[in-house]
Amino acid sequence: MELSRPSTVDEAVAALGNGAVALAGGTELVPLLRDGLVRADRVVHLADAVPRGIDGTRIGAGTTLAELEVDPQIPSALREACRLAASPQLRSMGTIGGNLLQATRCWYWRLEFPCRLHGGDRCHAAEGVHREHAFFASDFCASAHPSDPAAALVALGGMLRTDRRELPVAELYRLPTEDDRSTTTLAPGELILELDVPAPEASVYLKAMDRRRWSFPIVGVAVARAADGVRIALAGAAPIPWAIASEADLDGATPLPGTAYKLDVARALVRRALAEV
Amino acid sequence: MGATLLETLRGELGLSGTKIACGEGHCGACTVLLDGVPVLSCITLVHTVGEREVTTIEGLREHPLVRSFVRADALQCGFCTPGQIVSAAALVGAVPEPSREEIRHHMAGNICRCGAYPRIEEAILTWRD
Amino acid sequence: MARLIKTEKEVEGRYEETWVVVEEDVLDQWPAGPLTVVGQAVERKDGLERARGEAPYTADLKLPGMLHAAVLRSPHARANVKRLDLEPARRSLGVRAVVGPGDVHVLTDEPRYPGQPVAAVAADTFRQAREAVKLIEVEWEELEPLLDPDEAVARGELVEEPRRFERGDLERGLAKADVVVEAEYRTQTLLHNCMETHQSICRWHGDRKLDVFISTQFIWGVRERLADQLGLDPDDVRVVCEFMGGGFGSKNGPGDYTYIGAELAKRTGRPVKCALTRREESLATGNRNATIQRLVAGAKADGTLTALGGEYVNAVGWSGFSPMTGGPMQYLYACDNVRVVEHGARLNAPPNAAFRAPGFVEGTFGLECLLDELAARLDLDPLELRRRNHLDADPEGRSYSSKNLMECYRLAEEHWARRDTVRARSEGSWQRGVGLASQVWFGGGGPPSYAWVRVGADGRAVVVTAMQDIGTGTRTAMAQIAAEELGLPLDRVEVALGDSARGPYASISAGSSTLPSMGPAVRSAAADAARQILELAAQRFDKEQRVLSLKDEHVVASDGGSWPLGSVCELLGDGQVLGKGARGPNPTGMRVLTFGVQVAEVAVDVETGEVRVERVAAIHDVGRIVNPLGARSQVEGGIVQAIGHTLSEERLLDPETGTVLTQTLDAYRMPTIADVPEIVAEFVDVPDQHLTNLGSKGLGEPPIIPTAAAIANAIRDATGADVRSLPVTREELLRALREARERVGAVPA
Ligand SMILES: Cc1cc2nc3c(=O)[nH]c(=O)nc-3n(C[C@H](O)[C@H](O)[C@H](O)COP(=O)(O)OP(=O)(O)OC[C@H]3O[C@@H](n4cnc5c(N)ncnc54)[C@H](O)[C@@H]3O)c2cc1C
Ligand code: SF4
Ligand code: FES
Ligand code: FES
Repeated sequence: MELSRPSTVDEAVAALGNGAVALAGGTELVPLLRDGLVRADRVVHLADAVPRGIDGTRIGAGTTLAELEVDPQIPSALREACRLAASPQLRSMGTIGGNLLQATRCWYWRLEFPCRLHGGDRCHAAEGVHREHAFFASDFCASAHPSDPAAALVALGGMLRTDRRELPVAELYRLPTEDDRSTTTLAPGELILELDVPAPEASVYLKAMDRRRWSFPIVGVAVARAADGVRIALAGAAPIPWAIASEADLDGATPLPGTAYKLDVARALVRRALAEV
Repeated sequence: MGATLLETLRGELGLSGTKIACGEGHCGACTVLLDGVPVLSCITLVHTVGEREVTTIEGLREHPLVRSFVRADALQCGFCTPGQIVSAAALVGAVPEPSREEIRHHMAGNICRCGAYPRIEEAILTWRD
Repeated sequence: MARLIKTEKEVEGRYEETWVVVEEDVLDQWPAGPLTVVGQAVERKDGLERARGEAPYTADLKLPGMLHAAVLRSPHARANVKRLDLEPARRSLGVRAVVGPGDVHVLTDEPRYPGQPVAAVAADTFRQAREAVKLIEVEWEELEPLLDPDEAVARGELVEEPRRFERGDLERGLAKADVVVEAEYRTQTLLHNCMETHQSICRWHGDRKLDVFISTQFIWGVRERLADQLGLDPDDVRVVCEFMGGGFGSKNGPGDYTYIGAELAKRTGRPVKCALTRREESLATGNRNATIQRLVAGAKADGTLTALGGEYVNAVGWSGFSPMTGGPMQYLYACDNVRVVEHGARLNAPPNAAFRAPGFVEGTFGLECLLDELAARLDLDPLELRRRNHLDADPEGRSYSSKNLMECYRLAEEHWARRDTVRARSEGSWQRGVGLASQVWFGGGGPPSYAWVRVGADGRAVVVTAMQDIGTGTRTAMAQIAAEELGLPLDRVEVALGDSARGPYASISAGSSTLPSMGPAVRSAAADAARQILELAAQRFDKEQRVLSLKDEHVVASDGGSWPLGSVCELLGDGQVLGKGARGPNPTGMRVLTFGVQVAEVAVDVETGEVRVERVAAIHDVGRIVNPLGARSQVEGGIVQAIGHTLSEERLLDPETGTVLTQTLDAYRMPTIADVPEIVAEFVDVPDQHLTNLGSKGLGEPPIIPTAAAIANAIRDATGADVRSLPVTREELLRALREARERVGAVPA
């Protein structure tokens, strides 16, 4: 396997041709490569190509979660989402760009069951053990999106700049379908370069996990209040970060038998988060 | 996949103080410092290390934390211990007098199956004694 | 003098009557309380080596020419191999040997649990071995797995005959009761997940002599079982384990990987390391089996138990053993009418293995929760209920070698009394409460076990015995015991262990038996060495030997006179004093048990189902405490593991295929430092007068036993919810809360 380290965005984009994959902190990609869940014969290390660092509302995609969790310029929902994500070592390696693109933690998917998200025709989780899975939009694939920062960014109305377009973070994601199993709208070889996160009037991130630290969200709730109103987004709720307009939207949830409890947790956290902002 | 930093340390370089307990980023036994920042060597490709300085437990043997871990009985089987000490060294390097809360936040990535945590906390609280 | 006795041997709660050669234990016990070295808090002897990353674990050993093995394991819970082609693996880069079913007895073409070994490869590097394993072509015939333990019992699919225990008449006892409570409890499958995975290196010398470097809890057991299986003379099998990275009961034997490694090493003529990956560890190294417990208790209005009944199903897995899940029900309380039935269900799931107090951890959860449900019904204080049913003598008529459970209860009062203030700290959705649970377990150890003590001209002592220190600090405890007996400071005593070719037979480090088995042997060896030193001193200083003793590195005469130890030892020149010692018998006709109680304080968020354990006070009665520092660590470690067992850990199987879903540590969640409560460890610390020259029992297991029940009882105290299933996930807690609300709601106004 070949490793290259381009020093500009253009070189990186050029290098990301056929059979190449982008590597940032590697916390997600290296295990996936090792397990054969991602196949590539060339790895393009982004460290010198993708911006890193925080400047006011702008965040380089190569900024680590550890850097975000302590920076006072960062809105508190995002800071808290980073602070409660993964483990200290993973946060000091993992980048925000990579975090937004992490694959599902669904154990069936990770163990290579030939499920829908792998192109198959069943969701093994829906019929099997799915206590960590979705309670919204779970009918095709019941996975629950694991990113805390993504939910925070959706609530904060964050924008993304890639090497070819600008888009709201919410539009980075799409629900997988029969015809297209991907969960993001990123084109092959497209690079996330920067985020722009407008300062809210107030924001908060609450996370339920089954240990005090170092667990994926059972449910994560991000709420941000801006001039144009309050936005709510959930982690661990649907195959992608899930925006809801109000607490009442939770009534429209479609939990599986094993995820009904998550809805109770979500209700309590949404109520608390709304009370806090 | 290319060689990991851990494979290089333990294999080629014969530095066996850094342990492997999962090999996939889930336990912290393989923690080393890159330019003073704690990372997991089992999922770090060695070719991405570049110019950064690597510090392993072998480079921290004289660190006062080693003594304070023994003093506080912060180890049982000792297999997670080098990783714990490396993480702790990064912490006290940045925050010389960490609070219990800070210790719990910054040390949560190092699993100790023997459950030496209360002593580990004690060892870090008293590392300069 | 050596004596042949028939004695009861107990390992992990299983008793066997066997003949054992033992030597008389002629030494009187030391007086109770802390002594010069024993009873003092001391640092671990090998702490620095371990902390500095210098201690060579099996995982760190590299032998010249060593190859690495990788194992092909069944991806299916139940399948037959219809076609197997090993050739592609043989041709793969770096491969030196490939073995399949028929080549090693543990390799099978009819796997009956996921992860069962089918074939294996030895190659120059581990990566090459793994790549080669992937090339092995297998055609599987998948069969439907049996995964439901109740169904297995109904079908008679059992790993052993059901065990029944009966005292009195359960039905009569229930008829006499004023109140009867009945409940079903469930506990989950748990993984040991020792940080150092199971592994060994096998190296042959010719084809009759084998060296095995292995991460093990039982050097001599590995030696015996390998010799037996491979048809070798036990003395031709050398087993080495100097440092090991955790076992918790799962490393008591050679394991499949060692048999595979031995065969691959034989075929290649090279040393072969077979080290499991974390995922293999989750499949094929044992587990604490899940249980279903259908329990009933009856009591008089004053709390006197009249009946205890338990029908237990152990979901053992494809092989393994059916633990004594009903043990606590038999041993903990005075009750005339008890019936326990234990079934060991055979399933197409990975085999269980002993895991820190197997059976008793699970059974104590059920029993002690049931007792609190009973206390609630009787409106009795839970501590008082336990006192009223204290068992003063073993129900089979044997006396206890020592029992200080009442003293444990007395020491617990102070923690139990915090109830009101803890509850009063409830606010908003956070409700607080306190719960307790009692503990009973074995832990007396037994013969045989031997040690030698060597003292040279430099006046230093070396304890030599082929035991292992699995992280419990036994190396240190042995040094303390020898130092105490020899009147030496601790730093003048070393312990040479970990090699069957270097020292005598030593006990297994399991079942809380290392200290109570090895300690007395070390003490008697040290006493033998001391006696010989005093013999020399008597001649050198012209004294009667009986007036001499060793103290503070001096020979002291009771009728006056004191000489530095060195002045005697230097006379040895190249000579050495060699003391030998053996573990004496256990007291005949007596029951040797450990006891304790824990009091847990929790905070429960009744809206989100979050449970935080805020404080656990543990009071245990394990005889004399040799190293208070190490003892505290054992208690804390046990409680931390128990918190994982109670709140966050669970091995999950896909109900359709039997695949283990939680093979990685991101999914199998053990506690981190952030989950740890305040832990208070207290000991009765009174030597067991009847047990050996030391009076110490084991402490490895007692602390993990009552924690889950204490936490569950605290949750009930805080919220009124009866959690009956482990782990107490948010789902389980929210369910129990809902049920409690409905119960209250159902009460007519
Ligand atoms: C054990 C574990 C626990 C975790 N727990 C949590 C948690 O609780 N909450 C949470 O939110 N996250 C969690 N994570 C996820 C973690 O935060 C991410 O793995 C990390 O942030 C990914 O960043 P990286 O730089 O390492 O990405 P990499 O592993 O390098 O890359 C991940 C993916 O993103 C792509 N990529 C990376 N950067 C770019 C870019 N700039 N443009 C285009 N593509 C790019 C890569 O090609 C790859 O597909 C956990 C991860 C692990 C392993
Ligand atoms: S939840 Fe999604 S990823 Fe998991 S099994 Fe179902 S389809 Fe596959
Ligand atoms: S060995 Fe690297 S995290 Fe476990
Ligand atoms: S001391 Fe054994 S795992 Fe930490």
